[in-house]
Amino acid sequence: MTVGAIPVSTRAMPSTVQQWWTLTTRMIAPTLSNGELATQIIGSIVFTVGFYLPLKNILGAVQPMSSYAQYLTPLIVVQAIFFAAVSAAFRSAMDALAGINRRFRAMPMARLTPLAARMTASMYRCVVALVVALVCGHIIGFRFYGTVWHTIGFIVFALLIGAALALMGDLIGAATKNPEATAPLLLVPQVTLGLTSVGLQPVERFPGWIQPFVREQPLSHWLNALRALAGDSTPAAPAVTWSVIGPALAWVAAFIVIFTWLHAVVARRP
Amino acid sequence: MSSTDKAVVVEDLRKSFGSVVALRGISFEVGRGEVLGLLGPNGAGKTTTVDILSTLATPDSGTAIVAGHNVRTDPGGVRRSIMLTGQQVALDDMLTGRQNLVMFGRLQGLKKAQAKSRAAELLDRFDLAQAADRSVKHYSGGMRRRIDIACGLVVRPEVVFLDEPTTGLDPRSRLAIWELVSDFKADGIATLLTTQYLEEADSLSDRIIVIDKGTIIAEGTADSLKERIGGTYCEIVPRDVNDVPALAAALGSLLPAENRAALTDTSDRVSMPAPDGATTLMAALNLISTADIELQDIALRRPSLDEVFLQLTGRPEADAAVDVGALT
Repeated sequence: MTVGAIPVSTRAMPSTVQQWWTLTTRMIAPTLSNGELATQIIGSIVFTVGFYLPLKNILGAVQPMSSYAQYLTPLIVVQAIFFAAVSAAFRSAMDALAGINRRFRAMPMARLTPLAARMTASMYRCVVALVVALVCGHIIGFRFYGTVWHTIGFIVFALLIGAALALMGDLIGAATKNPEATAPLLLVPQVTLGLTSVGLQPVERFPGWIQPFVREQPLSHWLNALRALAGDSTPAAPAVTWSVIGPALAWVAAFIVIFTWLHAVVARRP
Repeated sequence: MSSTDKAVVVEDLRKSFGSVVALRGISFEVGRGEVLGLLGPNGAGKTTTVDILSTLATPDSGTAIVAGHNVRTDPGGVRRSIMLTGQQVALDDMLTGRQNLVMFGRLQGLKKAQAKSRAAELLDRFDLAQAADRSVKHYSGGMRRRIDIACGLVVRPEVVFLDEPTTGLDPRSRLAIWELVSDFKADGIATLLTTQYLEEADSLSDRIIVIDKGTIIAEGTADSLKERIGGTYCEIVPRDVNDVPALAAALGSLLPAENRAALTDTSDRVSMPAPDGATTLMAALNLISTADIELQDIALRRPSLDEVFLQLTGRPEADAAVDVGALT
């Protein structure tokens, strides 16, 4: 043998922080070169153009707020963040398929470190999505009218939604182990919940039989909360009260609890 | 952990998945610097054994000590001492070979500079330097297997689990992995090698355990096992495959009942133990020429895995295997 295959050194004790950071950067670094970041940015722009241009004149007149941009931008934010969750699902399915999770489990590493790293990478995607969506929103006329605290609340809450959706996407990827199937699987909730929400038009515009669903589904509650936190130049935006923010927070908390629990179930599967 | 020279001690390991019993009480030991071959067909319980020893699965009962750490009470200690390569290559396909090596080095606690220099060493050693900065998803099967094993060697393991490391590999990659096992041995690392290839178990292992349906059915050195299963085999190929039944009839009592039973409509040859070597071959030739059957070939050779199983279990190996496609 030339160079020794087997090192002589005794092993260092791996630190959880170093492992978490290593696993996070392995997912973030390729996004710069493999087109994932570009897709993310283009996706947010496409959502803005695709919803705003065709619907501005039709639905702009029937919504109560000062402009359709002010009404629509929360939906653009949530859809862009949903897109980040699809990427999360794709990556977690790749890892599950490649058997690398199995290998991590036989290494000196805390059980939750790989998931924590995937979630960190997902939050990075969410921040990119949020920034691009807000820039797009600003261009079409969206503004923050609330206090600084309300604006901070908007950003934090949008990222919380991102965390909930990323956990869902990550779970779907880990459970299906099928990267190709993740996008269609997530497209169904993204489109159905997106279109049957108060994101594009007020609940009164829907047929009577579906109005209870439109009013109570999670996306509508999230959009109402984001609209309240963004505010408006007219009093038409929902008020920042517990009756608006409470249900939205409850839905996010429910998503996080349920999907974390399901993650534990999937992780225990042989 | 240096107080004992046993790197792996397994006692009465049992494991079921629902109603399927995977392990029915397995016991064995592996010494430091020893290579133990775990030989058996698919579904015999080889991977379940490796899973338990590498803390991926918990046993229903029994004890397993790996490098001095109990897999049940100290899984962290076990994980710090082992290297595991599964039947499937486990890499990050988005990264290059070098990036994968650095990542595993960092995960094992190496500093950035250490991880980089160790990656360069391993790329050299595994003959992958030219492909180092290409994404591993474009690697060939043999290259992927080599980088997979290299990723397990960024730090020194005490016990190595190689789960069917050469299944589906080209001869050159197979040879590289065989050489590596000799390195482990020379370095005092215990190796548990699972394989479906008798040839591989024979040439690499100090001892072989034959496992079938979750039970150890034979244990010993390659030589003692070969002795037990009759050592030499005589293989007779008629010129016309339609002569196989006539050939079997002509051999009479020379062909043991279980070898006779193993013949099927598609058999193109007859195999039988040749305990007396050349004498058995001469006796067979006499019987065949009396029956006037024309031969294409007749030879003495070492037993195949099929014959090992036939001898040890009294049934053809194909019956024991769920999937015989991968068998040679």
